[in-house]
Amino acid sequence: MRILVVEDEERVARMVERGLASAAFAVDVACDGASGLEMASAYHYDLIVLDLMLPQLSGTEVLRRLRKINGQVPILILTALDGIAGKVEVFEVGADDYLTKPFAFAELLVRIKALLRRGPVTRASMLRIDNLELDRLTQQVKRAGRRIELTMKEYALLEYLMSNAGRVLSRTMIIEHVWDQSFDGVTNIVDVYVRHLRTKVDEAHEQKLIRTRRGVGYSISTREPE
Amino acid sequence: MMKLRSIRFRLTVWYAGLLALLLVTFSVSTYVGLERYLASGLRESLTRRAIEIGPLLGNIVDDGAGQIAEIKAHYALESDNGFLRISRPDEKVLYVSGPTKDQSFDPRRVPFPKPVNSLRVDRAEPLAGGGSLVISTFRVAGLDGSPLLMEIGTSDRHIRETLNQLLLVFALALPLCLSVAIAGGYTLTRRALKPIGEITSKAERISSRNLSERLPTPKSGDEVERLSSSLNGMIERLEKAFHYLNRFSADASHELRTPLTILRGELELIAHRPDTAEDVRDTISTALEETDRLTKITESLLVVSRLDAGEAQMDHSHFDLAVLAGSTADQMRLLAEDKNIALTCRLNQPVDIEGDASRLKQVIVNLLDNAIKFTPAGGSVNVSAGTENGRAVLEICDTGAGIQADSIIRIFERFYRADAARTRKYGGVGLGLSIARAICKSHGGDIRVESVDGKGSRFRVDLPRANGSNTGAP
Repeated sequence: MRILVVEDEERVARMVERGLASAAFAVDVACDGASGLEMASAYHYDLIVLDLMLPQLSGTEVLRRLRKINGQVPILILTALDGIAGKVEVFEVGADDYLTKPFAFAELLVRIKALLRRGPVTRASMLRIDNLELDRLTQQVKRAGRRIELTMKEYALLEYLMSNAGRVLSRTMIIEHVWDQSFDGVTNIVDVYVRHLRTKVDEAHEQKLIRTRRGVGYSISTREPE
Repeated sequence: MMKLRSIRFRLTVWYAGLLALLLVTFSVSTYVGLERYLASGLRESLTRRAIEIGPLLGNIVDDGAGQIAEIKAHYALESDNGFLRISRPDEKVLYVSGPTKDQSFDPRRVPFPKPVNSLRVDRAEPLAGGGSLVISTFRVAGLDGSPLLMEIGTSDRHIRETLNQLLLVFALALPLCLSVAIAGGYTLTRRALKPIGEITSKAERISSRNLSERLPTPKSGDEVERLSSSLNGMIERLEKAFHYLNRFSADASHELRTPLTILRGELELIAHRPDTAEDVRDTISTALEETDRLTKITESLLVVSRLDAGEAQMDHSHFDLAVLAGSTADQMRLLAEDKNIALTCRLNQPVDIEGDASRLKQVIVNLLDNAIKFTPAGGSVNVSAGTENGRAVLEICDTGAGIQADSIIRIFERFYRADAARTRKYGGVGLGLSIARAICKSHGGDIRVESVDGKGSRFRVDLPRANGSNTGAP
């Protein structure tokens, strides 16, 4: 898998490059909009990470021109700007995802993986991990065949964890998906819900499924996530 | 409706007052002047008569029938409502004119003057029907040298009538002039103030969104031109300040976020490396948590400074505050239950407002988070929404520790904490209430708090209601 990172801040670019390399991606870096556009049109990339504040050619402009050449490649916007209007604009121009700096690297990785998994993914109606089952149609959860009663939020949280099974999800990502950004500052909302979910899902069982990665977030898996 | 303190009202009152004063002065002086002029004219005519009649008196001693007939014939005193009496100092009447034509007085009953020492004395005898009889008494010598008193008089009725008519004219004309002046003054001030009204309404339409617009400057060379050009100068300075602030905000975001991104990314990379020792990983995790906190502070500060600067891009939609409060409370219910706090809602009636729903949700989240944080186990938190005096009101009450009186005014300040010890225990960055207030203010509302130390607090958000929602309570 080959990824192009268009980022003018050299240290950020290097950090992203090393991080993605250690996650077994091949990474190219472009330091301004013009060379980014050039590289993107010359080579085939599986994904492009694009900064918005770029010298020579703004990220939005690069995005607009790129979409004319190639409508397929997933593009993730990485920016220090967080205005809602700007966000809407880049999505309209054709971005696939949007991440505000400073971001958790784990989050960038998960988002990249999610974008690469895109396409004809069958949304399975039944999610299964070990003996934990979640039925998306009936919204029922069973562990070892016994039904677990969950509130709406607990169900949404579990579904999000299970559909990303094996991956660490940051608190921000969980809040963004299960709640919304208004709850970002709420002290420990994710921790409290995860704790309650644990009591219901894991307490009575030898095999614990919900795992904590300190300083990063949570995951659901039968073994420690990489 | 004209306001009593408005310039228009005050100017009109001044106009009218000044004009009334002038008119009254003019009327009074005209009246007095005319009265004096007429009175002196009357006296003069009496003198003229006396000069004419006087020489005839020489013949009147005991019987002056001839002269009297001449006087009667020549001077027609009666038909002229005049009065003539010739008497001796001992009040023996030698001659008195007959009854006057208008019967306003009886000449024979006119009282005698007090003893006369000078050649001429003027007096006025009041008449029964109003007015008075003006009499001039002359001392003359008879043929035989004996002193005679010649009294010539006439009624001042004509003068009175003239003056009364003048008074009537004044009484009618004065209010008329005054009301014309008031109406004219009102219209004139209105016309004079009209350009100011236009400037005001144009200025009102200029907000942070269209600061590049300017007010029209009429080349009139007067105060109006100065006003609009000085307003334009102010708008220009505002525009510059806004521009600078927005650029600063964007620069600051970029400058602060970039190092944080690198710091965080590098830390994560170390933490994820398989050869990292467990104790290093722990240290890195702690550092990551602090980086998180720093990130949150940075984000919150940027949000507050943008809101304070009057952020231009704000969503505007029509929604029900009660529904928003209910769903938000539901999303946080477990936080309360986790601490054994009863979270109750009183949201029976719809409260339509207009604004940025996601920002106002932030207000509710921040207030609920605070209430749950500072309420001990077993307490309760209540959310209610309604309308009061045409405003939308949201209240969040808790049975928590309350806020001490000296802290209550500072609680919305950035980074203010009532108790430093709580900081570590409860986490957060101390900007939640600043953000909440900034959001409320940007919606034309406000947020206030009442609190009893040890008993709990009541946060009260009031916002303008949506246009078109009925303001009266059902």
